[in-house]
Amino acid sequence: MRNILKGNISLIAGLSMISFTFFLLILSYIWTPFDPLEVDPKASFAGVSATHILGADNFGRDILSQIIVGSRVTLLVAALSVTIAMSLGVSIGLAIAVAKRTYQSPMIYAVNIALAFPAALLAIILAAVYGASTVTAVTAIGIATAAAVAQVTRRTAAGILASDFVLAAHASGSGTWWIVRKHLLPNLRASLLIQASAAVSISVLAESSLSYLGLGTPPPAPSWGRMLANSQQYLFVNPLLAIWPGIVIVIVVLGFNLLGDGVREAFDPTLRRSEQ
Amino acid sequence: MTLLVVDNLTISFGNKKVVDGISFGLTAGERIGVIGESGSGKSMTSLAIMGLLPDTATVSGSITFEGKELIGLSDKEHSKLRGDRIGMVFQEPLTALNPLMRIGKQIAGPLMNHRGASLKEGVVKALELCEKVGLPDPERIVRAYPHQLSGGQRQRIGLAIALACEPALLIADEPTTALDVTVQREVLNLINSLVTQEKSSLIFVTHDLPVVSVMTENVAVMQFGKIVENASVAELFQSPQHEYSKRLISAARLAENAFSQGGEKL
Repeated sequence: MRNILKGNISLIAGLSMISFTFFLLILSYIWTPFDPLEVDPKASFAGVSATHILGADNFGRDILSQIIVGSRVTLLVAALSVTIAMSLGVSIGLAIAVAKRTYQSPMIYAVNIALAFPAALLAIILAAVYGASTVTAVTAIGIATAAAVAQVTRRTAAGILASDFVLAAHASGSGTWWIVRKHLLPNLRASLLIQASAAVSISVLAESSLSYLGLGTPPPAPSWGRMLANSQQYLFVNPLLAIWPGIVIVIVVLGFNLLGDGVREAFDPTLRRSEQ
Repeated sequence: MTLLVVDNLTISFGNKKVVDGISFGLTAGERIGVIGESGSGKSMTSLAIMGLLPDTATVSGSITFEGKELIGLSDKEHSKLRGDRIGMVFQEPLTALNPLMRIGKQIAGPLMNHRGASLKEGVVKALELCEKVGLPDPERIVRAYPHQLSGGQRQRIGLAIALACEPALLIADEPTTALDVTVQREVLNLINSLVTQEKSSLIFVTHDLPVVSVMTENVAVMQFGKIVENASVAELFQSPQHEYSKRLISAARLAENAFSQGGEKL
């Protein structure tokens, strides 16, 4: 473990940032300075102080408490939608890459159509049918991201399958299943990690915008996205309201991107310092 | 004993014939050189024998190997021959190895596919094979990744993989084209001695006449998908029949003259 971390700055930085967000998540179940939903008119737009460490919003709700509890929605949405996006996207992408040429084009068209379908539209449809909730937001983000993942996976996999070493593996009598497991997946891993970390960032941001449009987690449950949306009206009155949720969103998005980069570096022998 | 008979083999992509009715045969232990410029169909011929043509290719004619018809053979049946009875060495040692797999496992591949070896047994055999292809410090090599080895070393690994199951036929598709001239010589010597030692037959595909002349007794000259001349190396050098063969020889002479004239400019 120490060997993997050594000199891998992206991995260390990414892990610390993600640990911080998970720390917030655990903390939300143990302790918050205030009830995040407690309205206190006297504290409206309170600045940074000993009582309200990060200040309070227009209703006088404690920002720190909202940030701590808001991590639940953000991380839940990120985890679920990335799971949907990756499992769906990677299996579809791989299936197309391995399929016979005649079946490939219709499948590629289907993915392209799904790709052209914006997440917000899907979320509106789902919200109209089932009512806006975290689940509809997760499903919409998951499916919309899955199409992009399928597209990238198919292209990368097709490139790997056309490479000399796959031809050489065929030439030494390897079967399709062996080639997929031993040659395709390991060489796809770097691309999958990058896609997964990008998908986390996309879904955190998408959750924020869907919440902003009223298509995500319904109020009053705090979410970083809605805090940001809420702060927009008071941007000139109290810019701090936008800064705090902004900072935690940046930390989680940057953290997952760095983690993706760091893990890729740790897995790739050509990038690994100890193998040079 | 006849090992391989290629009869009237035609390979086309759509309307374009890349190999046009070629025929040749090979007895056990015999070596043949296939020479031709890029696009002459020589690589497609070797891929057809391996059953590795892209699925957009249409193939007709016949290839019999050890009495078995290979055209129309299912991929599953064909893959039983690949790496076992027929080994293949590729042109680009830099790309023909999986960059993320340790060398030992890559050499063990054919043994695991065909001999039911476990990874552990395969790697033990890989140590022997490394030694056989003249790689120093096999213990280190089997644990290394491709990027830690030089081009020449990688081509030796390619040879170790191709010869792991002691195939009856080795197909070498421009195995030295991508190597430095000094390394070329070493790899050629190695292929030569290993093929002799294993009593394998050899199809040596190249575009380099001097290279093929030191490796095989007979040469098939290919141009535009056809075999335009089939002769022994000596015959070809003394009295080339086809226009293209003559050009190949004069090109080879050019290099020879450069030596005798001490580097005089064209």
